[in-house]
Amino acid sequence: MDFFSLGLEHVLTMPALISIVIGTILGVAVGVLPGLGSVIGITMILPFTFSMEQIPALALMLGVYCGSVYGGSISAIVINTPGTPQAAATALDGFPMAQRGEADLAIGWATMASTIGGLFSVGVLIIAAPQLAAFSLNFTAIEYFALGVFALICIANVSRGAMSKGLLAGGIGLFLATVGVDHVTGDMRFTFGSFEMTAGISLIPAIVGLFALSEVFIRASESTQVKTVIAHKVGFRLPPFSEWRPRLWLLLKSCMIGSFIGALPGTGAATSSFIAYSEAKRSAPNRDKLGTGEPDGIIASESANNAVTGSAMVPTLALGIPGDPVTAVMLGSFIVHGLAPGPRLFTEHLDLVYAVFLILIAVNLVMFVVGALGAQLFTRALRIPEPLLMTMVVVIAIVGAYGVRGNPLDLVTAFIAGVGGFILRKAGFPLAPLVIGMVLSQMIENSLRQGLLLTRGSFLAFFERPITLSLFILTAMMLIWPVIRWLRSRKKEA
Amino acid sequence: MTIIKTVFAGLVGAVGLGAAALAQDFPAKPVTIIVPFSAGGGTDITTRILAGPMAEALGAEVVVKNTDGAGGTIGAAETARAKADGYTIGMIPVGPMTTQPHLRQLPYEPASFDYICQAYSAPSALVVRQDSPFETLGDMLAYAKENPGELNYGVQAVGSIPHVAGLGLASASGAEFTFIPYKGSAPTFKAMLDGSIDMFVAHISFLTQNSDQVRSLAMLTSERVLTAEDLPTATDQGIPMNFPIWGGLVAPKGIPAEAKAALERACEVGMNSEAFTARMGELRMPVAFMGGDAFEAFVQSEFDKNDKLLTEAGIKQ
Repeated sequence: MDFFSLGLEHVLTMPALISIVIGTILGVAVGVLPGLGSVIGITMILPFTFSMEQIPALALMLGVYCGSVYGGSISAIVINTPGTPQAAATALDGFPMAQRGEADLAIGWATMASTIGGLFSVGVLIIAAPQLAAFSLNFTAIEYFALGVFALICIANVSRGAMSKGLLAGGIGLFLATVGVDHVTGDMRFTFGSFEMTAGISLIPAIVGLFALSEVFIRASESTQVKTVIAHKVGFRLPPFSEWRPRLWLLLKSCMIGSFIGALPGTGAATSSFIAYSEAKRSAPNRDKLGTGEPDGIIASESANNAVTGSAMVPTLALGIPGDPVTAVMLGSFIVHGLAPGPRLFTEHLDLVYAVFLILIAVNLVMFVVGALGAQLFTRALRIPEPLLMTMVVVIAIVGAYGVRGNPLDLVTAFIAGVGGFILRKAGFPLAPLVIGMVLSQMIENSLRQGLLLTRGSFLAFFERPITLSLFILTAMMLIWPVIRWLRSRKKEA
Repeated sequence: MTIIKTVFAGLVGAVGLGAAALAQDFPAKPVTIIVPFSAGGGTDITTRILAGPMAEALGAEVVVKNTDGAGGTIGAAETARAKADGYTIGMIPVGPMTTQPHLRQLPYEPASFDYICQAYSAPSALVVRQDSPFETLGDMLAYAKENPGELNYGVQAVGSIPHVAGLGLASASGAEFTFIPYKGSAPTFKAMLDGSIDMFVAHISFLTQNSDQVRSLAMLTSERVLTAEDLPTATDQGIPMNFPIWGGLVAPKGIPAEAKAALERACEVGMNSEAFTARMGELRMPVAFMGGDAFEAFVQSEFDKNDKLLTEAGIKQ
């Protein structure tokens, strides 16, 4: 209890409280802007944190982190462009809702789900950080491979109705991520002798092009006369509890998926939101309506991606291993402030650990307020005349695409992805599987090859590992599930 | 005030005094340092800590720009290709400078740069888990020789210094390891904690921060490290090795002599500043300033050493 009050003392200072608020607002803003994601947000504030005290610096970074993961959902809903890769699954149902004129409600669902997901993961961090960190050490390259394969099923689940096109899009995504350095041999692949291509195709410019630019092209290609004007409600509307009640189990399950994936170093919010969405597609109360503007999809994606934030701090704080690129930057900043994460942190600096817990709780609450107030502004974007809005989207997309690594090739990537996305969408290909493929490609390939090095080339040895075997069985069951359901429904009819 | 001065000087330059006037009064606008890795990593943090005191010494703003990709070669190439006026320089570490050019065709080589200063040189260490059965380098090597290829040696990237050091250790001792490449230092560290790998090479600040989870079998230096006198070196244990993880400021070839001198001086002042030395001290990193000419000769010798090791190991293309 002593450490707790000490932690509270750290947080209840003016600089810390101001940092929480500013960090969260900034985070939501970079999250909303396509291309500018969590990593850029953290990088932008990094130089400031050097000259700040430890606790305010932490507060600022955690605010940006959590805020940005949530902020991506707003642009996914409003302009069908996930502000960050983590929100790609949110667009699947968020945008159709906005098209019906319910953007205010969609943002309400997303904000509520994000806040609950975030708070849930803080709870996980508080209760089980050391245990969960120890458990994550059961995941070697071999288990990561099995998890990656399991996550690939999402492709099948999010492309129901256009299965072959979805699988093809997923294949394209898997392939695109192989361009550049082969991390196991150091060789270059598919660079066609171009030095710039050795850096590979970066996910963020690709997403900016696929979603934002292709959306602009699509709208430009449609005749403006025939379009019916939709009365967009501006502002922020929270769904009543009666709407929540049947979806509580879905919410809890998505939070658990997010927190679990977040605690594994090297997997992130994008993977978790797709897995949660995929699970919703299998078992949510309104699974048949998923993809048509059904809140279940928003809940699954948003609670799962924000549930990553707290639990990604588990390996970061307890082992000194960053859970994703964002926590990697944070870890760097901890070190600048003379704080060495690792098991010792929990014995020697428990007050700081408590301060982190409290900051995270505060950030998630502030995030809710920022979302509710910000929605007034963001939903008004829908009333901006379309040519103006689309021009703004193009400018923001280009800035975002270039900003990630300062590599001019990324601009070319964004443009080609824009044209490619336009063609794919016109031909009825779903884009989400492409993103899933890009996100999972390196994880699956590298971990398979590392795993084979570990077992000295024996794939059979993979099956001797309990976690891997369970994941393989789960994968097989998920694949057979639709067949079983189909057989059952046929029996009933008969 | 500095900003106003800089802006004013920049305007004067822009209105027509031209490049000659600018060169006489270096720096007349902010200096950009390209870091070829992402923000928050070791190279980035060292650069950012140095940027503050350097800016003060220069009397101009110093902006840090991260150009990440392909093992640091994208940022190194950007530095080599930048306008040779001294306003764009790079903090280029050992990997992109002396190992990557041996692995594939790159649009730059050590001769593409003017050398300003060495900014850091961290001793590296061969680390094992705290509960590893091996107490000394000798223990580990004896086991590795009896069981060839059984020990897993993790590397952060193919052809990186930790990898080259492992190749050097294998060739010097006659032991055999199975090298397993991960993607970066965090996954490599994770692989060590989850039991996948038995050892890897890290630099001293990593060892300092994670001393409750890992320990050093041998510092890979020719002499005891000043900031870690208690840790035995590989050289002490009969295997002479020296694999520092260093980095320094370089500019595109052909910058004005005045700009080079100003940058070198600012680098020295910055590295001797309280802010920089205190931070390095916390991480047990020795402060290792080296002037431009000495640094250039050092880079060339490292380039040749790594060439030899990569060729012997059959990794060089």
